[in-house]
Amino acid sequence: MSLRVYRFLQALILLALVVFIGFKLISGTLSLYINMQYMPLTVFGIALLVIMMLVILPRPGPKLEEGQDHDAGHGHDISPAALVILIVPLLVGVLIPVHPLDATAAATRGMNVSAPLVGTSQTREFQSAADTRNILDWIVIFNSSADLSPYVGQSARVTGFVYHDPRLPADQFIVSRFVITCCTADASAIGMIVDWNQSADLKESSWVEVKGPVQASKLGGQPIPLIEASYVQATAQPDQPYLYP
Amino acid sequence: MDIIPSMEFPTRRSGLSRSLIWIILFGAITVILYASLPASVWPRLGQRLSVFATVFLGIFIEALPFLLMGTLSSGLVEVFLSDEWLARSAPRRALPAALAGASLGLIFPICECGTVPLARRLFRKGLPLPAGIAFLLAAPVLNPIVILSTATAFGWGRMLLWRLGLSLLMAISVGLAFSIERDSANILRVPIFKVGPGVVHTHSANETFMQKIRQALLISADEFFEMGRYLVFGASLAAILQAFISQTSLLTVGSGPILSVLVMLALAVLLSICSTVDAFIALGFLGTFSFGSVLSFLIFGPMVDIKSILMFLQVFRRKTVFYLVLLPLLMSLLAGLAFNYFSA
Repeated sequence: MSLRVYRFLQALILLALVVFIGFKLISGTLSLYINMQYMPLTVFGIALLVIMMLVILPRPGPKLEEGQDHDAGHGHDISPAALVILIVPLLVGVLIPVHPLDATAAATRGMNVSAPLVGTSQTREFQSAADTRNILDWIVIFNSSADLSPYVGQSARVTGFVYHDPRLPADQFIVSRFVITCCTADASAIGMIVDWNQSADLKESSWVEVKGPVQASKLGGQPIPLIEASYVQATAQPDQPYLYP
Repeated sequence: MDIIPSMEFPTRRSGLSRSLIWIILFGAITVILYASLPASVWPRLGQRLSVFATVFLGIFIEALPFLLMGTLSSGLVEVFLSDEWLARSAPRRALPAALAGASLGLIFPICECGTVPLARRLFRKGLPLPAGIAFLLAAPVLNPIVILSTATAFGWGRMLLWRLGLSLLMAISVGLAFSIERDSANILRVPIFKVGPGVVHTHSANETFMQKIRQALLISADEFFEMGRYLVFGASLAAILQAFISQTSLLTVGSGPILSVLVMLALAVLLSICSTVDAFIALGFLGTFSFGSVLSFLIFGPMVDIKSILMFLQVFRRKTVFYLVLLPLLMSLLAGLAFNYFSA
């Protein structure tokens, strides 16, 4: 394979990566993969890819090109095998349907109802109105507060996906969210146990809004929040399915 | 980089057909599995594939900008840095030389794929042995890009501090250990002085600034594709572990104080992930593997892995390579075990 073809293939793959990630960025599906706090890094990465692509794209004037380029490509393994591996992410992204992490992932990775695995050194606003707190807020409150009495009995309103833990009785389920610090590699599922007599009717992984007073329950000596649901309603998957610590 | 001999033309050809077969096979299997999903043979396979894709792309997308930054700075160093100046201004005495060598990466951010070729050029220009060895081992971690990516993954906390501190300590002690040997010919391979055709980049002075920039970008593009492979492999493995293997069974391995460190050290070598992005792979293991084992992965991987061993062999004598692998291995093992046994 001539160096020109090799460079052209390289540029093509870089372009494909730009289109692929750019599309995820514009369509908003990027938030299914990374903490959106790091979105600027991705934009920066796309910019670097574009610059690299434009520079390596072979130009007309073959003689000059080969001459200028001869000491960059040499010595590197210029076999196409090295190039096609970079197509794998595109194949994975195109062929496998896009889904945020759900109950399947939670079943493999474990569900946490008492303590967030993530370091939550920052103080959370516990004075916030009870119905604006998300699942992570409630878990942190129950994990870190010495006195739970101000919180017990408050009415919670949280959104999450349904997770049926085999250890729970039939009239309970877990309303859960994934917490992402950096990207999906560090995702950990957290959840609150919900008392709801029609639990069994809820479809696994479906998104629900749960409302009801919060009670203090115990799991292995550790206080955990439990919602005595007054209603559980199906809801749309939020734009940002994950919570960020 | 430039010391990996380029493949013969026929091999290249078979490389193409072989990799095409793999890609087609991969695609076909994916499509078939996807199409045969509702057959409920494996009811959760489809969902698990989705989990795999989400985790894999999460790692890949998050790591990509860092890999690009690393290869870009490597290209710029290669084109713009004067080796003569660097070799001349290095301290001669062992300890200062090792210190200076270890902190060189802070100024020239390159990952392990760039350190070996650079170290080789510097040795040839008379860089003291302790400085070169310390540079080789420390630069892949002690540089701004890796510090940033580690902090992105783990936060500005103890993982970052221990990674930096221990890498520095290990690099300096190995550098000092080699300072006992006065005659560098016992350490370095002789052929290092033999210059093959096209091995040394001679950049004529009349190259314009823009031409140099272009040259740097071409080099970084090659390196991006070379290193991107390891990222794809590493991210796949991490994602497979997370999507298909239940955490509880992994925990048995990952929480064993000795076994977990050994497994992570082996992974560090086998995966050969570029140090600019290995933090994101390591992050995926932190939930199940002990802190000490993940830390040992993060300090050992940048120093020794398959591709760096291959590159070491081009520069050093076999005996030297043996010690270059053994000393960091023992120290990483010790560090990992110490954390697992003495730290909560």
